[in-house]
Amino acid sequence: MSAVATTAASVPAAPKRAGILRRLATEPGAAIALAFVLLTIFAAVFAPWLAGVDPYETNLRATMRPPGGEYLLGTDAQGRDLVVRCLYGLRATLLMGVISLVIGGGIGIAIGFAAAFYRRIDGLLMRLMDVLLSFPAILFGLAIAAIFGPGLVAVVIAMSVATVPLMARIVRGAALVVMRLDYIEAARAVGMNDGRLIWRHLAPNCLSPIFVFATLRFGQVILLGSALSFLGLGAQPPSAELGAMAAEGRNFLFFAPHIAVVPSVLIFMVVLAFNVLGDALRDALDPRLRI
Amino acid sequence: MLAHIARRLLTAIPVMFGVLLIGFILLQVVPTDPAVVRAGPMATPDVIEAIRADLGLDKPLWTQFFLYLGRLAQGDLGVSIINNVPVSQELGATIGPTLELMLGALFWSIPLGILLGTVAAYWRGSLFDRAVMAFAVAGVSVPVFFVGLVLIWFVGFKWQLLPFTGRAGPIWTVEGLKALALPALTLGGVFVGPVARMTRTAVLDVLGADHVRTARAKGLVERVVVLHHALRNALIPVVTLIGLQIGFLLGGAVVTETIFSWPGVGRLAVGAILSSDMPMAQGTIIVLSLGFIVINLVVDVLYAVLDPRVRVS
Repeated sequence: MSAVATTAASVPAAPKRAGILRRLATEPGAAIALAFVLLTIFAAVFAPWLAGVDPYETNLRATMRPPGGEYLLGTDAQGRDLVVRCLYGLRATLLMGVISLVIGGGIGIAIGFAAAFYRRIDGLLMRLMDVLLSFPAILFGLAIAAIFGPGLVAVVIAMSVATVPLMARIVRGAALVVMRLDYIEAARAVGMNDGRLIWRHLAPNCLSPIFVFATLRFGQVILLGSALSFLGLGAQPPSAELGAMAAEGRNFLFFAPHIAVVPSVLIFMVVLAFNVLGDALRDALDPRLRI
Repeated sequence: MLAHIARRLLTAIPVMFGVLLIGFILLQVVPTDPAVVRAGPMATPDVIEAIRADLGLDKPLWTQFFLYLGRLAQGDLGVSIINNVPVSQELGATIGPTLELMLGALFWSIPLGILLGTVAAYWRGSLFDRAVMAFAVAGVSVPVFFVGLVLIWFVGFKWQLLPFTGRAGPIWTVEGLKALALPALTLGGVFVGPVARMTRTAVLDVLGADHVRTARAKGLVERVVVLHHALRNALIPVVTLIGLQIGFLLGGAVVTETIFSWPGVGRLAVGAILSSDMPMAQGTIIVLSLGFIVINLVVDVLYAVLDPRVRVS
């Protein structure tokens, strides 16, 4: 561990965690974004307890009620409370994002480290990543929905596949910088095995770019995933998912625009918060990544 | 230069192969027998067998893959299982509108984005700069369908200014142009932000370069310095970055076409997938992918034309 401690000082731009939080808190935009992100995560996790009502419970005597009054965000065409629907929708959308990011990001991290560490397979792995990168995420979405049939599983697979090459590139780039440092050589010299070397010495020094990318990517995954659901290729109605809810609302746009607008605005706010937070994290953790 | 293009073409080969393989797999997962579909409901088993042999369906998979490639080379993408129309025919009718939509979006969003980005970089840190950057972040965060629905509701429905369903003819007619306006505004709307952001970064980089300082030292007027010395060099990375964003634009186009019932490839693809029309889905996905690969190639070549250093390295 002492090897890590000494080199951490020599690696540029690796400020302490507490300092990062303080910096985020002093920047108003980032602070608001952070607060909103925490709030959405809280709302998504505790949706069943916060809502108290079944999101599928219809009430045909109170359909298409506008926001305000008895229903804070109004009701949809089946008289379902949009507050409840949004809580569950947030839960589904965020879960879709988290699973995609964990699977795609995890595989990408493994490939990135493997490419940086084992130089012989680097070329092959990176060419493979280039091939994946040649496809826009929407095409993965279309192709995978066609193969497996529309549904949230297809969206998660598509978003994961689209995340792998991006994460692999970022991790490889970061790992290559760290690999050049003396302490890696030292750890090798004392006979440390590869797995331990990567886990104990390489990975901890590549955390910043991984963290920044994951935050920014999360917003994009949610945006794309909800777009696929909006197209009918992801979550299927009547399930409460924000993109699918917006698609349902589109049918009633001219009678009750709020049914489509409420979930759309919620997606916008969540993605915006993650993007602002990701940008702020990048500036705080790793200014070299700034584009 | 030629070597550069040749190298890029070579790297595109495995990608294209991957696309075609995916297309082939799509046809394998069809729940129905394509021979039965082609033969029609009245066909006798003999006829179905004959068609099966004709299509090579009785041969091993890898032979079928090469037969499939052969048919593709002849432009035969199969027949829709929903309406029996050749896939190539439907594609031929939808590629034009998709290109129209994308060009319509780029036509206004790229110049506006470059303008906003340049001005923001020039007055770095000003209120305008902050506003442009905030707009850019909002642009990459907003769902395309939200922009579309808002435009439909206000411009199309409430103010009745522009039509919002379908295409009304070629863009050189007034009606056609009017029908294109809202879809192009929607798609371009989410593209202005990223372009502005990329331009700003590129211009900032160049504004600090030695040759810009030299230009100023020579006493050139600011307009010449910014337009000729800074922006011109900044455009090189901007072209590449815009090229990299084409995938983002394609995603937006699929959604935009669906919202506005625009008769493009994206809408055709979504409809085919939703109705399990695998030959059609396969055809649209192949065409969208190949189109994307070609655009990337063109951007790369354009990059080499703009920046002589790329050709050498």
